Amino acid sequence: MDSDEDMLDASDSELMYDDDLYSDDGCGSDKIDGDYESEDSQSFLTRRDQRYNILKEEEIRQRQEEDISKVSGILSISRDAACILLRHYKWNVTKVHDEWFANEESVRKDIGLLEEPVEIPNSTELKCGICFEALPSSNMRAAACGHHYCIECWKGYIVASIKDGPICLGLRCPEPSCNVAIDHDMIKKIASSEDQEKYSRFLYRSYVEDNRKIKWCPGPGCENAVEFFLADSNNDVMCNCAHWFCWNCTEEAHRPVDCETVTKWLIKNSAESENMNWILANSKPCPKCKRPIEKNQGCMHMTCTPPCRFEFCWLCLDSWQSHGERTGGFYSCNSYERAKKEGVYDETEKRREMAKNSLERYMHYYERWASNQSSRQKAIADLHSMETEKIQKLSEIIREPETQLRFIIDAWQQIVDCRRLLRWTYAYGFYIPDKETAKKQLFEYLQVLLCLVCVTKNYFENLVRALENGLEDVDSSSSQTSTSKNEPTKGKSGKNKNRTTPAGVTVEDHWSCDRCTYANPASSDRCQMCQHQV
Amino acid sequence: MASSTQASLLLQKQLRDLMKHPVEGFSAGLVDDSNVFEWSVTIIGPQDTLYEGGYFNAIMTFPLDYPNNPPTVRFKSEMWHPNVYPDGKVCISILHPPGDDPNGYELASERWSPVHTVESIILSIISMLSSPNDESPANVEAAKEWRENWDQFRKKVGRSVRRSQEML
Repeated sequence: MDSDEDMLDASDSELMYDDDLYSDDGCGSDKIDGDYESEDSQSFLTRRDQRYNILKEEEIRQRQEEDISKVSGILSISRDAACILLRHYKWNVTKVHDEWFANEESVRKDIGLLEEPVEIPNSTELKCGICFEALPSSNMRAAACGHHYCIECWKGYIVASIKDGPICLGLRCPEPSCNVAIDHDMIKKIASSEDQEKYSRFLYRSYVEDNRKIKWCPGPGCENAVEFFLADSNNDVMCNCAHWFCWNCTEEAHRPVDCETVTKWLIKNSAESENMNWILANSKPCPKCKRPIEKNQGCMHMTCTPPCRFEFCWLCLDSWQSHGERTGGFYSCNSYERAKKEGVYDETEKRREMAKNSLERYMHYYERWASNQSSRQKAIADLHSMETEKIQKLSEIIREPETQLRFIIDAWQQIVDCRRLLRWTYAYGFYIPDKETAKKQLFEYLQVLLCLVCVTKNYFENLVRALENGLEDVDSSSSQTSTSKNEPTKGKSGKNKNRTTPAGVTVEDHWSCDRCTYANPASSDRCQMCQHQV
Repeated sequence: MASSTQASLLLQKQLRDLMKHPVEGFSAGLVDDSNVFEWSVTIIGPQDTLYEGGYFNAIMTFPLDYPNNPPTVRFKSEMWHPNVYPDGKVCISILHPPGDDPNGYELASERWSPVHTVESIILSIISMLSSPNDESPANVEAAKEWRENWDQFRKKVGRSVRRSQEML
């Protein structure tokens, strides 16, 4: 494919749109503009760029640094004070400026920032307000308010607060009536280097956690954050770590299902609700102690486990004492049969029946939901092995640069995404009310994607298999040539040898269908996938 | 000093001070002389309150990192009060760990601070006895009764005062 042009296109778009997005080459965008270059993908790309921005640690630190410098410069306050101020207003620089210039005095009061620091009294010996020891004033420290405590007590105070987590960022003077803020400088002077490190980490993280427009990528082990600009119907975000998630609810990306349904579904999966359904469907409560009992065998004469030991009839749930010859003996219960005819038991029985049905329905959707996830995991693993080793081998065998084979990676990525989509269709399907036929149709339409996944997947699995066979050929060519001997060497296969995949892959004992690109064994002259005749 | 030696030195010092200069309204000592982290205090019901005349025993248990974290206080005597759990545990804001509480009921300044001592804690409890806070009650039933059925509340407290006198 004309990859040079692609590269040009890509760099054009880089210039036109957000430039720091592409500040390094780790961006996921190259994946997209690699081979499927068309106007559609171009517009998709630009739309994506404007929606969100992936931030790496250095970028986050840099931004934080810039904000602090900006505020400290404009308001002429120390950097530490700017930090406290920004944190109080959730790192919103504009808000800090607005509030500060509207009423500096009340802002200072709120966040505990004194204009003039109070000096520690200048006497030789002072009493610490915490341990009540009298110590030389050189052993005393105080925040801007002048409430002095000995270094040891300060240490304990700060250590205890850092142990409590990010709350330590809002630390105030120990004196209950005083709300003067303890700044980073004090922490640096008093805390151990380990605790200082923790404090700095909390400060760094608060830049993302307090900011409403930035969130951490929830991908396992990922340290990136995502800045989101536009809240529209598409909340899907793909981080550079390849984790694809919904910005709104930070669960994995789940379009077309909405966040609410996802939450409902996940709660349903994790909560006890299904256990309850099962209990309801398959057990009856002991009439006396109300513990649920599952009847797995035996006659209708039930005896509850100790300490209850209540004996009752499974059918009518009445005491066994009222049973005997006149109620129909051990194997049937006349009072139950009679009552059932009269309709007394209908409601509870019906409820039990419904619970059973709904449980089965849920199991149907859940199993498929879960198995698509495991298929997806498998696909991710395959993608990984393709990226890390197989692509290199393939490029060696067919003597094409790896860059030309990027489409294979893209295709694997596609499979992973399809699996994800498919998986969520089951959550969606579960919540479609029976009446809404239109929705049901859309749902079934989506599930047709399953077939698409299979087709694509088959194609690539075949390609991979071909590659593996190819490898065998190469490996064994020195010792034996049994594989190639087994291949028919008709004229047709000679022709097929020259067939290439769209990116120019020649697979010797396979040919690729012109119509659907399926990799067929050389022995057949009709496409196994679409029945297209060569 | 993060070690427990600081805590025990500080507690011993406070004990000595209280022995030398007792404070009106309560008496304090150790449950067991070898353990300075567990105190037994007797609070005298404050005048002009329903608790007047009562002698209420409580156990104060200090954490090893006192004064950086607060002790717990538990009444041994029967105590019917909106801010005391049915099991006797006292729930007042200064006994809550430092930092802002997530529910926003209390200001940071009302929470635990290392400057608090046995004396300041007990004085807070005495002030709690005279003016209960029914906004976030530990004993919901007592709070409800305090608000809606004052006579019943008074009777129950009166009974607990008499019992505490009998225990002497």
